[in-house]
Amino acid sequence: MSRWTLFLIVMLLGLGLGLVYGWVINPVSYQDTTLHDLRIDYKTDYTLMVAEVYHQENDLDWALNRLTLLKDPSPLTSVENALKFASQAEYTLPDMFLLRDLHNAIKETN
Amino acid sequence: MEQNRGNWYLLTGLILGLVMGIVYSWVIAPVKEVDTHPNLLRSDYKDIYRELISRAYQANNNLPRAEARLELLGDEDPALSLAAQAQRYLAESGDNQTAKILANLSAALQQAAITAETPLPAPSPSPGENLSSSGTLESSSDSSGTAAGRTPTPGEESTEPTLTPTNSPPFILQDSSAICDPTLGEPLIQVIATDGEGEGVPGVGLEISLGADPKEVFYTGLKPELGLGYADYLAEPGLTYQLEVPDSGLLIPDIEVPSCQTEEGDSYWGSWEIYITHPN
Repeated sequence: MSRWTLFLIVMLLGLGLGLVYGWVINPVSYQDTTLHDLRIDYKTDYTLMVAEVYHQENDLDWALNRLTLLKDPSPLTSVENALKFASQAEYTLPDMFLLRDLHNAIKETN
Repeated sequence: MEQNRGNWYLLTGLILGLVMGIVYSWVIAPVKEVDTHPNLLRSDYKDIYRELISRAYQANNNLPRAEARLELLGDEDPALSLAAQAQRYLAESGDNQTAKILANLSAALQQAAITAETPLPAPSPSPGENLSSSGTLESSSDSSGTAAGRTPTPGEESTEPTLTPTNSPPFILQDSSAICDPTLGEPLIQVIATDGEGEGVPGVGLEISLGADPKEVFYTGLKPELGLGYADYLAEPGLTYQLEVPDSGLLIPDIEVPSCQTEEGDSYWGSWEIYITHPN
């Protein structure tokens, strides 16, 4: 086997080890994520908080503004995703009601 | 000689490959973080999250749920973080409404902490109740204390009953006087709000103004390290302020920082101390 072939094989081995180290063993750690990156259960709780406030204050503009921060295709999608997860996770009826209330309010404006 | 040269050749290739692999995986195509936890949020998003928790608390008065939600943000002292954010909002944007909402939750957390720390007096058995042989109170009523029918917040464990904020009775002026205390370092208008039992009352809104000038708002309890009922305002020497406790209709006029002297004869600006309390 020529020197160059051996060199390439060893370099590819190093490349593979480097990728494993950078992607698996010690990946880049992000400390500054956005609301969009949150796991679905946290996003659902965020949406539920918006629904709780909307139910009390009836300020749809404020609610839409807060839901926009989730950067889903639309605020309605955010609430639909939340409703879907809340249903799977068996949220209580009052919480489901709040989410549905917000969902209906947004749907009426569309 | 030839053999040694070959070994170095291979080591160079391995190191080169390693470096290329690490650069690719860290810089060119790093792992994309999805499904993250709220404690990894950027600080401005954490502020939005905290504000939303406070607003939701204001809407539902569910303190355990608010506590569980705040826990997700990983703040060392959630009450202090809320108070600091409220102060920042007041200083930067003058957003009194949001600052008050944040301060209310901060105050509720502090009050709950005090309640939890205060040992309750031993209950004396009433008719129909018996003391067991171990000295514990036996009652036929359900004492589970759990909040049934409540959706658990992600990571939520607490099942304490909700603490409902109470409407404060009006405050009366106990004392208002100039003080000379060189340790304070700057001229302050200090307010200490206490209840009938002498405990500090957090979350009391205070309005300070210079005659017809717009009022500035601040709240007690935003510096919990100095007492739950404590609030202060940095005053400017030579000006006459008036302080109002709007919820109580209390107005304290003619507040001026005094000129003081140390024992060595050095001059410095003193402070003004105001004590307000609920009548017994």
